[in-house]
Amino acid sequence: MSLQEHKNSCDEATMPMFASSNAGDTEPFFAAAALGLGLRGGGGGGGGRDEDLDMEEEEEASPTHLNTSTCGHFLVVSTDKLSARYTGEGRHGNDVGAIQGNRPAPSRRLVYYFEISVKDRGQKGYISIGFTNENFKTSRQPGWDPNSYGYHGDDGKLYHGHGVGDTFGPTFTVGDTIGAGINYASQEFFFTKNGKIIGTTFKDVQLPLYPTFGLHSPNEKVCVNFGQSPFVFDIEALIQEERERRQRAVENVPLPLSISHSIVRAYLLHYGYQDTLAAFDDACGGTFPSILAPKDNDPQVLHENYALNERKILRRLARDGDVDSVFAKLREWYPKLLQDGHSVVGFLLHCQKFIELVKAGALEAAVFYAQQELASFFGSPPLQNLLQDCVALLAYENPAESPVGYLFKLGQREAVADAVNACVMGTNPVLLSSGQSPQSSLEKLLRQLTACQAEMRFFYGGQGEVFRLHKILQGSKDGGW
Amino acid sequence: MGKGEASSKKVITKEEWEKKLNDVKIRKEDMNKLVMNFLVTEGYVEAAEKFQVESGTQPEVDLGTITDRMAVRKAIQCGNMEDAIEKVNDLNPEILDTNPQLFFHLQQQRLIELIRNGKLEEALEFAQEELAPRGEENHAFLEELERTVALLAFEDTSGCPVAELLDLSQRQKTASELNAAILTSQSHEKDPKLPSLLKMLIWAQNQLDEKASYPHINDLVNATLEDPVT
Repeated sequence: MSLQEHKNSCDEATMPMFASSNAGDTEPFFAAAALGLGLRGGGGGGGGRDEDLDMEEEEEASPTHLNTSTCGHFLVVSTDKLSARYTGEGRHGNDVGAIQGNRPAPSRRLVYYFEISVKDRGQKGYISIGFTNENFKTSRQPGWDPNSYGYHGDDGKLYHGHGVGDTFGPTFTVGDTIGAGINYASQEFFFTKNGKIIGTTFKDVQLPLYPTFGLHSPNEKVCVNFGQSPFVFDIEALIQEERERRQRAVENVPLPLSISHSIVRAYLLHYGYQDTLAAFDDACGGTFPSILAPKDNDPQVLHENYALNERKILRRLARDGDVDSVFAKLREWYPKLLQDGHSVVGFLLHCQKFIELVKAGALEAAVFYAQQELASFFGSPPLQNLLQDCVALLAYENPAESPVGYLFKLGQREAVADAVNACVMGTNPVLLSSGQSPQSSLEKLLRQLTACQAEMRFFYGGQGEVFRLHKILQGSKDGGW
Repeated sequence: MGKGEASSKKVITKEEWEKKLNDVKIRKEDMNKLVMNFLVTEGYVEAAEKFQVESGTQPEVDLGTITDRMAVRKAIQCGNMEDAIEKVNDLNPEILDTNPQLFFHLQQQRLIELIRNGKLEEALEFAQEELAPRGEENHAFLEELERTVALLAFEDTSGCPVAELLDLSQRQKTASELNAAILTSQSHEKDPKLPSLLKMLIWAQNQLDEKASYPHINDLVNATLEDPVT
């Protein structure tokens, strides 16, 4: 491989992609979120139709190559920036050639890991691998100065903040592949040699940390693997083990089976899923007398049963797209809800009526309806996205296949039905006086779970996997579960 | 900052915590999926069908495959254990062959049903001939057997210390265990996600306890937010 000399020049600025992330990084959501709704088309701008609420949580950038702009002198780095050779003389403590990855180790995960392969041990094999922070001097070996850790090949010792290392593992030399990793769950560094774990040490240093190696005797040469090739060490197995350890701890928590049944039943009640509820009660028949005959004075039971009949009917009408009847029933039963001509639920229903007209091909009627009922909602910001999407339906010959085609799907009716349901639930005088939020137990529990997980990450300085319910439900492994 | 540092815990007030809770985004769609997953995995096929229609949520498997599982569950819920065992063996004989603990629990349930129906002689015979030999192989089985047989010692079982065995939730427990085994044999996830998430909530709250004092939810059914303990 041809080696080309690099001095302190010629590289793009490094972009630390690390973002401090905690419960507070959630952006304000559509006003209707206060009603406990997850309305599509409400949150994001332009392209937000199939918007993923987790978008801001997407892949963190990882180191991909060596950072040649801050690396030590006496290093010659290959053009692919994945290997380095020492050309100095290694005479004193400040002519080390250390080099970092171009980005810090990503931290929103369980484990970060990289490897080096020793191609030439040079005169003395003064080769080291470890992690260093942004203030690290690349003229020094990783581990010699504070805020750096290094496992050194010539003596097999682990260095942290001193010129004297601790006994740690075997030495390493030409032909060996050495790995260094951060386990964010256990807050430890770990090192490997030729695919086997050498040892771990408590990570007593702040992020961000850069993967780093150091060379210090003539002709030493090392290649680095940031994951562009398969690792010698089975990192997936380690991650799997870490997950299973946590899963076992969670699964060992005792939980009466009937609790899940009660929560599901309350959920069906809460949203007025009448047929499902009947079938569920039927199937549970007699096996759960305690939930089939709930105590009448139980506040949540009273709450979930509130206006059940009315809510069942409204949901069915909304699900059938019969907006006129929903309006009629609401005016009859809950005139106050629609009194304010600009209520969110009224707006959603008007939009839905418009959508149903377009869907039925009654474009003229739709336009007329929009002029009559929707025009006055232009200009109230939280509702703009949905409104624009609705009107955009008119622009397409085949709206169902258009970018706003989601409006024709059943999910949109479901969202409207949920909004109506939430409004009716909100009229419960008990609820109003107690200041309780009109949410189902399930929703409250999921909020609590997500908030606890976010708070834990906050205490760990934003390290470790982010809990993402959505990913867990997709069966993905990296939802923090 | 050291590992064992002694520090006073951070206190998060109810107001602060409620603000955090409100900032959490929960999708209705995801809750529907969670409920559908529960109905499918626990074998509530009719409820799953209705839920698909009412909420527009797609089940993750063909609902047809649940029917056989349902029949087995129903047999247990009706206390018809012989029927249940026969149906499982029709479905896949390996399920019971490879799972001695499950088989023992089914037999134990059969004994419970015999006692419930007052067939005491039959119950004793069954316990001695079918269950006792298994108890010899496994200490945990023996303890369970003794606990079950204790039901015979009480004329009025309603207040006795092992009365819970006669509770209908015991049938539910047995039905769920068998259901899970059938799911595993069909390479479907054996547990619904909801109970796991609830356990995770309890676990996460305990973990956070070490760092902060904040409003708990202890009553999962009502999801009541407690005041932080200070």
